[in-house]
Amino acid sequence: MEAFLDGWGLTLMVFLPLAGALLMMLIPRSHEETLKVYALVFSVAAAVMGILVMIWFDYGQAGELQFVVDRSWIDAINSRYIVGMDGISLPLVALTLLIVPLCVIYSWNHFPDPKNPKAFLILILILETGMVGTFVAQDLILFFVFFEVVLLPMYFMIGVWGGEERLYASIKFFLYTLFGSALMIISFVAVFFLAQDPSSGDALRTFDMRTLSSIGQAGMLGTAGLWIFAGMFVGFGIKVPMFPFHTWLPDAHTQAPTVGSVILAAILLKLGTYGFVRIALPILPEASEDWAPWIGLLAVIGIIYGAICCLAQTDMKRLIAFSSVAHMGFVMLGIATLTDFGINAAIFGMVAHGLITGMLFFLAGSVKERYHTMEIKRLGGILLQAPRLGWILGFTAMASLGLPGLAGFWGEFPAILSSWNPAAILPLETFRTYTIVAAVGTVLAAGYLLWLYQRTSFGRPTEEFATEQFRDVEAPEWVAWVPMLLLILALGVYPNLVFGVTDDAVTQIAAAFGG
Amino acid sequence: MIGVLARLAQDTGDGILVPAEPIQAGVTQIATPEIQWVALLPHLILVVGGILLLTIASLFRHRVPRWAYTIYTVAVAAGAIIAALPLWVRVQDAERGPFSAIAGALGVDGFSIFITVIICAGVILTALLADGYLKREGIDGPELFVLLLLAASGGTIMASANDLIVLFLGLEILSISVYVMAAMHARRFTSLEAGMKYFILGAFSSAFFLYGIALVYGASGSTNMIRINQYLASPTGVVLSENGLLLGGFALLLVGFGFKVAAVPFHAWAPDVYQGAPTPVTAFMASAVKAGGFAAMLRVFVLTFGTFSGDWQPVVFALAVLSLLVGSVLAIVQTNVKRMLAYSSIAHAGFILVGVEVATEQGTAAALFYLAAYTFMVVGSFAVITVVGRKGDGHHELSDYRGLARRQPVLAFVFTILLLAQAGVPFTAGFFAKFYVISAAVDAENYSLAIIAMVSAVIAAFLYLRIMISMYMSTDSEAVTGEPDRVPVPLAAGIALFVACVVTVVIGFVPGPITDLANDAVPFLVQVG
Amino acid sequence: MPNPLNELLRQYLTVAIFAGLGLAMVGAMLGVGWLLRPDRPEPQKYINYESGVDPLGVMWSQSQIRYYVFALLFVLFDVEAVFIFPWATRLEAYGAFGLIEMAVFIFILALGLVYAWRKGVLRWV
Repeated sequence: MEAFLDGWGLTLMVFLPLAGALLMMLIPRSHEETLKVYALVFSVAAAVMGILVMIWFDYGQAGELQFVVDRSWIDAINSRYIVGMDGISLPLVALTLLIVPLCVIYSWNHFPDPKNPKAFLILILILETGMVGTFVAQDLILFFVFFEVVLLPMYFMIGVWGGEERLYASIKFFLYTLFGSALMIISFVAVFFLAQDPSSGDALRTFDMRTLSSIGQAGMLGTAGLWIFAGMFVGFGIKVPMFPFHTWLPDAHTQAPTVGSVILAAILLKLGTYGFVRIALPILPEASEDWAPWIGLLAVIGIIYGAICCLAQTDMKRLIAFSSVAHMGFVMLGIATLTDFGINAAIFGMVAHGLITGMLFFLAGSVKERYHTMEIKRLGGILLQAPRLGWILGFTAMASLGLPGLAGFWGEFPAILSSWNPAAILPLETFRTYTIVAAVGTVLAAGYLLWLYQRTSFGRPTEEFATEQFRDVEAPEWVAWVPMLLLILALGVYPNLVFGVTDDAVTQIAAAFGG
Repeated sequence: MIGVLARLAQDTGDGILVPAEPIQAGVTQIATPEIQWVALLPHLILVVGGILLLTIASLFRHRVPRWAYTIYTVAVAAGAIIAALPLWVRVQDAERGPFSAIAGALGVDGFSIFITVIICAGVILTALLADGYLKREGIDGPELFVLLLLAASGGTIMASANDLIVLFLGLEILSISVYVMAAMHARRFTSLEAGMKYFILGAFSSAFFLYGIALVYGASGSTNMIRINQYLASPTGVVLSENGLLLGGFALLLVGFGFKVAAVPFHAWAPDVYQGAPTPVTAFMASAVKAGGFAAMLRVFVLTFGTFSGDWQPVVFALAVLSLLVGSVLAIVQTNVKRMLAYSSIAHAGFILVGVEVATEQGTAAALFYLAAYTFMVVGSFAVITVVGRKGDGHHELSDYRGLARRQPVLAFVFTILLLAQAGVPFTAGFFAKFYVISAAVDAENYSLAIIAMVSAVIAAFLYLRIMISMYMSTDSEAVTGEPDRVPVPLAAGIALFVACVVTVVIGFVPGPITDLANDAVPFLVQVG
Repeated sequence: MPNPLNELLRQYLTVAIFAGLGLAMVGAMLGVGWLLRPDRPEPQKYINYESGVDPLGVMWSQSQIRYYVFALLFVLFDVEAVFIFPWATRLEAYGAFGLIEMAVFIFILALGLVYAWRKGVLRWV
């Protein structure tokens, strides 16, 4: 078994959904039930592969890449098919493999117009391949390819199944991300050509992330590294999204169908932050040090700006979208500290945000399905009309604002704390200022989330819905939500589930910064 | 016979007709060059194939079914490819290497064979496409196929020319054939306009080109590329360049090439001609004609004038940047899909120019890979446009694509793949094409060009998105207001589409083989004799 | 060492002088004529000369496309002759190679004629 997993585990995990998508293309559109079952089977199969891999994963050596496969791929540019998993990848892979089957289950009877479950499910499966692939790729080009593969299904998902303004939103999403990718690929290529072996000074000409990380700063001298980091910064920063590049996010979220929003919030945004942790920091440590204060600055601006925008929103989905900007700000702040503590917090924050915000978007979708509106003004009294839905919304909102004992807390609090003591090379005063500002951000978060909950769930239903009867939470919703709710609770109570896995790998990264 | 005449002239005793030196019985024979027929075979197959088709068709006009022309053309082009393969093996053999076919006029190297195969592939796809098109439009006759083969021979000659005069011959054979092809759909006014426009501007550019050759000849004393190259590398050559004659020649040659490959600011003809010409011809222009033009450009500038790259690189840099930006930006504001792709092909030319600009072996290989990938993407795209254009070849507006995904999901899906490939999305040939060009630019430390190229790729992506939006995301109101019928996809066009699509995707997954070939296909100036 | 380019340009000097002289000569002749001749304008003098017959219709008239085809064919074979004459003077030096080359050339041109004939352009309709 172990030999099998060593050779094929990750590859199967990545490509099973794609195989499923290809298979489904051959099935006629009218066989809806068959198609749904296939989609579920393949996404669950990928998850089973993931579980097997996680069982056989050597947690004692979580800092090392495991199940590594290294095969030649494109010899001409010395790009290889390298996949591997370590403590940083594992929680994110697990998150992806969990969320996708839940999305398939949730959409069982909830296909947004214009229906066409076949195309919808195929897109979800392709997305899964791209996302899982990004988290396990250990070659820059392979990483880039998976990173890009994600783009298209999401574009179509927003553009075809989205709301009123779907065209605008989908194009904005696509162009923003593509622009980031364009700079990113140039950075990758520049790394390829400029990376040197520090001892001999020879050009390395490799995209292998393991080699590049191990030599540090890619053996580069001068300001080249700074520019390359800037390219990656824009590429990953747009995906996160960081403050000045965030404007695509509210539009995309508001217009996307529920499942699209969930996947976008839960996983896609993590591709950016993961890129920082996995690629930008280890490969270009010196440039990271120079950029870190700026990343921190944008992160805290994002926290405050996102929170203030939330307070001004009238649309529930848009509010949750802006809260993503704020939450990802905490994650970026953790990364910017360049410390073991901060990066651990950031990874925990990614997982927690994935679960919580994903959950919030599920809820928003369900609310919209019942009330056919997202306008906070018109909602109210959910607790009366659909009590279970209302309670789940309350629980998730609490988790999102960082209530101790739930997952959100362990993403936010340590990130703030870590910025009080950033890596020794970073300016201490600056980061302590960030700490204070970020702390104000948590207060604002409590403000907008509680206000949202109060306006939508408390009180009496507005007049237009007063007489209507609504279904409470239904079976597919229960199946999709319970695992997420349980995880939110479990991670809140026992955060070591994630910290224990990530710490070894994070320590190695932070070691470059004297952390 | 001439001898008899001469003797007659002497007999009359009249001084005027007597040659100054009477021709003796034992005349000194002019040394005729040794000809490597095998090396000429690909060109010969194309030329003779074209002429033979013309003869057969004109003698038995009404007894040949139309599909026979298509099959014949495909067979001839395939024959040329097959004839080129042994040459590839011979050229790649380290001991034998590239060689000259006729006294240094035509060279056979990996580069020329690679381009020959690309052009022949373009011919095959175009012929398949033209089959259904001619039937639909009611255009009779084999002329299009004849011209296709002749134009292809011109392109292959351009790619393998080792002498500027031969290069010009190839250019003219190619151009004149394509002028006529552009005007082939004689009942469409726009087609005639396209032919006329292309002819006049093309003739202008040929004149520029020829004058450029003259100036280079004046500066270097030869039209043979290797002699020019050797001369420019010698001390006298360096002195000469300061006198401007050579630089003037560079400039005029660049103008000529710029016209042929439709680089901004010499692009003004391209949108009109691409839009007006019969769509299969447009496909051919965008693929094979461009391949021929770039092949010649790489051979002349990167190889022959390589020692003076500092002088022409800034100009090519400007051409590349302008083509990239103008092509992508203007493409976005069009509403006619055919015209959009015309502008986008200008942007693609900009990308290939990036490969030319870096003037390295890597850049050449990248340009070759781009040409190979682009040929399939663009012919495939225009194949869809041909089919959707309906009878009269006029339904090319964005609105004609509205709801295509609902009516014909397979066609829309194929078009989507091809458009994504043009946009450079991973797992398509277009991604690696762009990637290699960018790598070459970065490797040459030309970061600004790389960044501009990628930014323009993002701008251009918007254009492909617009088309996809029309196909997939149209509002439902059209469903009520009477939809156009499904468009029929002829078998041959279907095959062309299938091939283009499969090649695009396969190269996207395993680019290795083509990359290796492109790397082996280094251009080489063969020694005279 | 003389600059080779200047050397090259000096050889062109003859051409320049020749061209200048030619222009000067033509100019001189026309100029002298203009100075010497009497100048009495009359409407008749501005009518196109058509061998003494009064011209009919406007000067800008379209000519038949049929003439065009023949003009084209004429130019074709005229140019062919231009190639054949110099070739003929040196045929012996070229030998069999030259003969075959010219045969190919004429053959291709002849094929063009066959095509034109079968297309019906030679018929006067």
